[in-house]
Amino acid sequence: MDPPLKFIHNQIVEYSMQVTYNPLENEGTVVYNLFLTPETEREYAIQTIRRVAAAGITVGDMVRFIEPGETVEGYTVPNGMIGICTLCSITLDGILLRRGIVTNPIGGGVIEVESNLPRRFTHMILYESTTFDPLQVMASQDLTSVNQVMRQGDGFILGNVRECHMEAENILAEVLDECADSHFSGILEVGMPNASILGVPVSPQYLGVVALGGTNPFAAMKEEGHPVTTLAIKGLMDSSLMEPISHF
Amino acid sequence: MRETDPGTERKCLEILRILRDSRDPMGAKHLSERMAEQGFVLSDRAVQYYLHHLDELGFTRKIGNRGRVLTNLGISESESALVGDRIGFVISKLERLAFRSTLNPVTCTGDVAYNLSFVKNEELDAVRSAFDEVVSADIGFFGTYAETENDPRIPKGHTGFITVCSITMDGIFQHNGIPVRMAYGGCLNHIHHKPEGFHQLIGYKGTTLDPLQLFLSAEMASIGRLIQSGDGVALANIRNIPSTAVIKAEEIMCELRKNDFHLPVAVGSGILNVPIDPYQSSIVIYSGMNLIGRAYECGIRMKTEIGAGTIPISRIISG
Repeated sequence: MDPPLKFIHNQIVEYSMQVTYNPLENEGTVVYNLFLTPETEREYAIQTIRRVAAAGITVGDMVRFIEPGETVEGYTVPNGMIGICTLCSITLDGILLRRGIVTNPIGGGVIEVESNLPRRFTHMILYESTTFDPLQVMASQDLTSVNQVMRQGDGFILGNVRECHMEAENILAEVLDECADSHFSGILEVGMPNASILGVPVSPQYLGVVALGGTNPFAAMKEEGHPVTTLAIKGLMDSSLMEPISHF
Repeated sequence: MRETDPGTERKCLEILRILRDSRDPMGAKHLSERMAEQGFVLSDRAVQYYLHHLDELGFTRKIGNRGRVLTNLGISESESALVGDRIGFVISKLERLAFRSTLNPVTCTGDVAYNLSFVKNEELDAVRSAFDEVVSADIGFFGTYAETENDPRIPKGHTGFITVCSITMDGIFQHNGIPVRMAYGGCLNHIHHKPEGFHQLIGYKGTTLDPLQLFLSAEMASIGRLIQSGDGVALANIRNIPSTAVIKAEEIMCELRKNDFHLPVAVGSGILNVPIDPYQSSIVIYSGMNLIGRAYECGIRMKTEIGAGTIPISRIISG
């Protein structure tokens, strides 16, 4: 018998248990996404990540560049390509878990933005129904308009949603305050207990938390026709190996 | 829509959906009948009220006294609103066609569900050769396809391709008393022409986007490589039936094979990396989308409506 495939909600839980990141100290282990782009695109990639981070459409401003032929967590970046590691929003589930808040990861999807405010999800894939990160494929579907959102405040970006018990509301607020001043800043919206969040229903006595997708800068690059490959939810990394994009 | 009352938004969305599926303008009276069929009982007057509201929002437009049509904004709204309700809608839409598929597996007569793709006439030959490649490698669902020019959905200068949609088989199963559930769309890896295991799966119950179209545009399939070298990734669907129904299902599929259907890839529990559902068996079948996927790999961008309707199978066999 073949081993069954692992669905993303299992993967998220496994990774989030290993997160030790403390947003106040900017220390500890984070979950990262890996992106590959030709070496010639380096300058463009840096500029784009900077722009998207400045517009607040990323999980955080921390990045790490992996040179051609270098290895990260057993993955060797092919010759002629550079690897770019960024924070993955699952880090949030790990941060919350370390404070005693268990989250149910719900799903990833496309968020409509109107006048710089998130309005609703327009597409969604549930984590329990998929074996790969929905935002990884949605970045390649012509569903996003990250560049337009940066220019005029209207369009479509990528994000994901989880829910936690309403008992956790106070600690949640504390953690989110800590995150607001940190290098981990991807929280977009927190719902009311028992109320759907950006159109996504939550369980009774639960409230939803929406985070931005770490794949947004790369969706922006794809929209402009630049070649980029996404390997979302790639692994765990110590945050000291990453640096703010402004340093590049 | 920005309704504070979720009930109102639901009704408005249903009106938009009915108008989208209608080829002609529709008036309030007819709309209220159609709404009632969908479980929304509203007076003509109430429908009028909602229509005025939708006109103001720019989602619908009045065509003289013939009724309303959807605007482009309305079409995009019907594809964006109420995401929570739309999760799982991909498959409920196809299940409707399963009911209408009346194919008799023995005589090979009756109606089948089909996908409609259309392509610019100058790309016609390229599409034909891509489709033929897949059909002769036996990794489609059915052994042939048809072309059409006289369908109102096909724009000028384009030709339509009709491929049999595999939801047809769900129809045959259910008409023969087998409770079948479409479970996943997936990327099935092959080594030396043999299916080796799924790389990825998406469950139909948990998505607002069609899994197979997602896989195609994310370039996760490699149908051409599979045909040429025997190693590659094709698109396949997984259905679950009660394990006690496997013998009967095998009999039906045996008849279908005699009539040029390519199925199944595999039947069983815990096969090809598919998660086990106790007392249920999985049936893995190649998707008709492999034809469209091969054309996509050849750089041909065509629009495809999955589950465009039902059609007599004789119309497809005769080309």
